[in-house]
Amino acid sequence: MTTTATVQAGTAVSLTGLHKRYGDLRAVDGIDLTIAPGEVVALLGPNGAGKSTTVDMLLGLSRPDAGDVRIFGKTPREAVRAGVIGAMLQKDNLRANATVRETIEIVATLHGKPGRVAPTMATVGITDIAKQKCGKLSGGQKQRVRFALAMVSDPDLLVLDEPTVAMDVEIRRQFWRSMREYTDAGRTVLFATHYLEEAEEYADRVVLLRAGRVIADGTVAQVRSAASGRTLRAVVPDATEAQLAALPGVTSLELRDGRAVLSCADSDATVRALLHRHPEAHDIEIAAVNLEDAFLALTGEDAR
Amino acid sequence: MNFRYLAIEARLVLRNSRFTVFTVVMPSVLFLIYCGLWAKNGATYPDGSPVAASLMVAMAGYGSMGAALSTGAQIAMERGIGWQRQLRLTPMSGVTYMLTKGLLAMLMAFPTIALVSLLGVIQGVELGGGQWFRLIFGLWLAAAPFAVLGIMIGQYATVDSLQPIVSGLMMVLGLLGGMWIPAQIVPDWMQNIMKITPTYWLREVGQAAFAPHPVLGTAAAVLGGYAVLAGLLAARRYVTDTARV
Repeated sequence: MTTTATVQAGTAVSLTGLHKRYGDLRAVDGIDLTIAPGEVVALLGPNGAGKSTTVDMLLGLSRPDAGDVRIFGKTPREAVRAGVIGAMLQKDNLRANATVRETIEIVATLHGKPGRVAPTMATVGITDIAKQKCGKLSGGQKQRVRFALAMVSDPDLLVLDEPTVAMDVEIRRQFWRSMREYTDAGRTVLFATHYLEEAEEYADRVVLLRAGRVIADGTVAQVRSAASGRTLRAVVPDATEAQLAALPGVTSLELRDGRAVLSCADSDATVRALLHRHPEAHDIEIAAVNLEDAFLALTGEDAR
Repeated sequence: MNFRYLAIEARLVLRNSRFTVFTVVMPSVLFLIYCGLWAKNGATYPDGSPVAASLMVAMAGYGSMGAALSTGAQIAMERGIGWQRQLRLTPMSGVTYMLTKGLLAMLMAFPTIALVSLLGVIQGVELGGGQWFRLIFGLWLAAAPFAVLGIMIGQYATVDSLQPIVSGLMMVLGLLGGMWIPAQIVPDWMQNIMKITPTYWLREVGQAAFAPHPVLGTAAAVLGGYAVLAGLLAARRYVTDTARV
């Protein structure tokens, strides 16, 4: 994945040999990850894969048992002090008694940037609810306030831990739209999610975690093909399962009433051979496996 | 220390009606009621101290104790809901956070002392300028151990246990400390129990401004002891907490 250009630009995030145990549980079991400035990376995995633990260590909220974290060459604490990291933490952590403005003011003022309160509220679209108490907000509004807290220091790296959990579809779309505006300015984003569509739609790169390890890392297309290639569907009258299984590149198949569904590692080779050996085959469809299938294939039972 | 942050926090505390009712309004109202009951015609206790002034010290002390304690203890809520994690993503250090909370607790302890003293003037408490200064400033300083105690509770309590612990402790310290039942009129054995509590000595600090036999030295020692003990417990928890995170 690493190109010369990204190496020259330095790294935004560098995790080396990261380990964290909780008792007998190896929450993070040797993670190495390098993120270049400007990348939008999804940390994808089922619950318990180690996403939140990784994010916590990245932010300096938790200390790794072994390994090293560098954010733009700094330790997490140094990076936090310099205001280069903004984070949207997982759970609703707003104080019910404080207004939206006060909440954002506190964080802005502690960053020494009180002037950022108004523009950040405007960007995130919460100016109209500035005087409301956080305890009275809807789930989507709270989410936007927390997003504003992440943005208020004008960070170079934005870390989002399951940002859209409990958002409805429309709010989720709005959220990602404002996210886009932010990333278009060339900033780096790492978001943890277990929504596959989000990773597929918004990330340049997907890092798949399972049981505390990285099991796949690449573009959405790469992760997909690494997982299980493509699916070829065709109507092939009179063909037997044995004949179809003998086609090159076929990894598994289903055949019912002449309708075949072939899982292929190399669909180009399969389709050539299919048409050659079974000229009567028709209604041929070749589709990339969606990320969900790839995800299930790679993470096994854990995903359910 | 970020004073703008301190100011926003102060606004949040003062807006909390539970805080105002229990630490400002209630002590003031109780003071007026008690004065009406017992402090007529310049009444004095058997030891010679004036009733009205003693009640004033007891209620101002009770209110400031409660204010300092409950403000410091809010740390438990901020930790429990995860707000502290957000603060840890700012340049403020954990120690500065604690110091700010301590200073906030001290600031919040002052209004009730001022208000009850003002009511005292209206009720006819007569003291010299130096006495007023020693009373008000002494009570305020003596609230510091309770700010530390509050921070300690804030380090150990959970969101759910916070309120019962703070209310319970305020009641026990108020009763046993001789703030609701004057120490001057209880039997000796009970007075001995009262002397274990920090609130008894908080009251002594205020009384020292006008009492015939002031005991400021012992009061300072006991209160200082409580402050150090609570501070050490809070620091210990803080260290293990950051190691764990």
